[in-house]
Amino acid sequence: MEKHMSVCPYCGTGCKFNLLVEGEKIVGVEPLDGITNEGRLCLKGHYGFDFVNDTKILTPRLMYPMYRRSRDKDFERITWDEAIKIAATKFSEIKEKYGPDAIMTTGSSRGCGNETNFVMQKFTRAAIGTNNVDNCARVCHAPSVAGLAVTLGNGAMSNSIQEIGDTECLLVFGYNVADSHPVIARRVIEAKEKGAKVIVCDPRKIETARLADLYLPLKNGSNMALVNAFANVLINEGLYDKDFVAKHTEGFDEYKKIVSKYTPEYVSEITGLDPDDIREAMRIYAAAPSATILWGMGVTQWTMGVDVVKGLSGLALLTGNLGRPNVGVGPVRGQNNVQGSCDLGVLPNVFPGYQPVTDAKIRAKFAKRWGVKELPDKIGAMVTDVPHLVKDGKLKGYYIMGEDPAQTDPDLTSVRESLEGMEFVIVQDIFMTKTAMFADLVLPATSWGEHEGVFTAADRTFQRFEAAVPPKGECKHDWEIISEISTAMGYPMHYENTKEIWDELRELTPIFYGATYEKMEGLGYVQWPCTDLDDAHGTKYLYEGNKFQRPNGKGLLYACEWHPPMDQTDDDFPLVLCTVREVGHYSCRSMTGNCSALQTLADEPGFVTINPEDAKRLGIKDKELVYVSSRRGKIITRAKLTERTNKGAVYMTYQWWIGACNELTGESFDPTSKTPEYKYSAVKLESIDDQIWAENHVQELYATLKGNLSGAVENASVLAEQEPA
Amino acid sequence: MNRFVAADPSKCIGCRTCEIACSMAHNGDGTPAPLSDENFKPRIRVIKTATVTTAVMCHHCEDAPCLNSCPEGAIVYRNNSVQIDQERCVGCKNCMMACPFGVMDVITVPAVKEFAGVKMTTGVKAQAHKCDLCTDREAGPACVASCPTNALHVVDEESVEKSLADLRARTAVSSIAV
Repeated sequence: MEKHMSVCPYCGTGCKFNLLVEGEKIVGVEPLDGITNEGRLCLKGHYGFDFVNDTKILTPRLMYPMYRRSRDKDFERITWDEAIKIAATKFSEIKEKYGPDAIMTTGSSRGCGNETNFVMQKFTRAAIGTNNVDNCARVCHAPSVAGLAVTLGNGAMSNSIQEIGDTECLLVFGYNVADSHPVIARRVIEAKEKGAKVIVCDPRKIETARLADLYLPLKNGSNMALVNAFANVLINEGLYDKDFVAKHTEGFDEYKKIVSKYTPEYVSEITGLDPDDIREAMRIYAAAPSATILWGMGVTQWTMGVDVVKGLSGLALLTGNLGRPNVGVGPVRGQNNVQGSCDLGVLPNVFPGYQPVTDAKIRAKFAKRWGVKELPDKIGAMVTDVPHLVKDGKLKGYYIMGEDPAQTDPDLTSVRESLEGMEFVIVQDIFMTKTAMFADLVLPATSWGEHEGVFTAADRTFQRFEAAVPPKGECKHDWEIISEISTAMGYPMHYENTKEIWDELRELTPIFYGATYEKMEGLGYVQWPCTDLDDAHGTKYLYEGNKFQRPNGKGLLYACEWHPPMDQTDDDFPLVLCTVREVGHYSCRSMTGNCSALQTLADEPGFVTINPEDAKRLGIKDKELVYVSSRRGKIITRAKLTERTNKGAVYMTYQWWIGACNELTGESFDPTSKTPEYKYSAVKLESIDDQIWAENHVQELYATLKGNLSGAVENASVLAEQEPA
Repeated sequence: MNRFVAADPSKCIGCRTCEIACSMAHNGDGTPAPLSDENFKPRIRVIKTATVTTAVMCHHCEDAPCLNSCPEGAIVYRNNSVQIDQERCVGCKNCMMACPFGVMDVITVPAVKEFAGVKMTTGVKAQAHKCDLCTDREAGPACVASCPTNALHVVDEESVEKSLADLRARTAVSSIAV
């Protein structure tokens, strides 16, 4: 049996393990003593590997390039030479006819690794000539990146995952650590065992709420009001660190003025919380010698996401909980490499290492290294801009790599219209997906397990992962495919291996310069910033000496007025839908849905959780199929009654095809980060009288959807044999 | 004293890794077969109520009601645990009814008989189904090894002795304080 060192391809914890390989097939994993996981793994780590083996449980792996001559035709199998030529010709035509800004690309926050993301943004900027490149952080932690960049100067977790176990107070806000990052949940439990106080703010009684010393079940949509009230208490009760605020922050007077209105009594109505609990929370937080704030999508997926992030960082600044060990602000990243895709500049406003595209000196540096006269200076489009840009006739070509917007983006009707409205769409993936069904050209990439590279864990930790098995079928590495298209478009790119790419990006990015492949050998790791070759592990926590990465070195205290969510409940749609995550499935489920153990735990049509009292009123019984509808769509799913769900709200996970909650979510965005308000959509639930019909209907729908996706791939092969393209 | 796996509700996050680990450990000969609805039969179950999340499984009772209720003598004490001799089980479900914890199940599997080296399926075979402490697994119970939060541990005579001794010491110290 062979063993190959790898990093888990699921959440952002960055767990290390060996892949066990027999006869070119991955047969198991063996936990390793990595810096973040210390020998532990969750169910996805232990049992989430078999998708690589092409189990075909949900969808088939892509094995060869496929093309359809027109949108009403089926896919045909073609050769790589043809595929590269088609991609280059079509993109060149679009660029010629409409200009470079008519093309959009995506990086991928999943298994492809940092090097591929570097190559994708280089291709977009240098070969196409646009900054229209983005990744799924947009619909996830983009508000954390944008908010923290303004207040502290760096968008990442300030401290490290391993420090969570040693903090003396945890303020967990809108973050279901048990379901999102089970191995980080272990750190929370460790901290608690060592005597840390745990405060949880979440409308749902999540696992951490059960373990909390103080649980604040705030109303859905009241985050900003509560954060302002926290600041109000810290200031009014004199709990804040006056010396720290005077020396290391700015904006206090304006901040104090805005939060003065937000007394615990004032926000009691908005948040549904007892004013004394709000005070108690801040007394605990301020009294702790070290305190850490952790947050997740419950903070970011709102129209006020960026503002709440800024507000949370204000609490850490007020109490001096930054710039030393075991404190800080922790936006814990959900996807294994979403930190990395942001780090590597698959964002419309920055080059790798967060170097702004609007800075002429930076542009000149990259242009020189890449051998082009100039690079685009205009900030590009974001993935959530795509639907309206297509409608306005501004976007014509789309290169989607390793993402499935037709499952994961809000208001799927509008996503489908935007894909149909493009003149040419490339989908590069490892599986046939719902998005790939809209593509003109489908390109098969190697999977995690079949290539090597570097991932960035949620806490800025770079770690290397190896290839364990050879590529399936005709699959090529993502970075090879992009390089070949680029070369065919007249901008030659060629790399021998990922190390060559890594070394190029290190040289262009001072904060990554010290993170060499050699240091990341085996269980080695480097946390950026690491500017020095002699620095073994980089930066464990940011802002040492309370020096914030802003022009004057001070942290910014920022508050703003609360406003209610955009979608409003009424008599027709009286319940709030909040989309969430479940522990056994990941992202669009193309990977976990093809893992035998994980899909056995949970399968279509998913479920909608509802409080038993609401269910009783609506005549809905546990495990029955129900309709859920919003102003934008209607789907069928299974009801799950639980007292952990608050009254007036329902929760759905976003990976199901039939119970697809994104048919219901809307296009209200944060004004800065353009992150959708997934956490608040007005919906209604209706019981279904004929449950036997409903069960059959779900089975038929599922079989049809599966059949369409696998049929597209199988049929392409048959067509190729009949009439070579 | 019989050994058993104990769960700590203050550490359990309800992730069900133990359920998969259990199913995998008892599934197939040597290399585990892929899981499906048909062979996903965990002997440990994660329970979530409004206030509690924890795993429940066999206590390996000292005076086991399942064993006492079995008319076929299929349930025995062996190797400091309660084990089942499946060839004796007739599927009468007495043990299932007798267990006060709801952790004994009776399942049926395809019965296989071998004649002259040829395996044939002949109806179904009943099996009393519960935690066997992964008795054939060298590294011990799979659930304990896989738990991401260390919420599961094996309790045996030695560990009980130690924790009781610690408790007695603490009691003695606190009696001075009073």
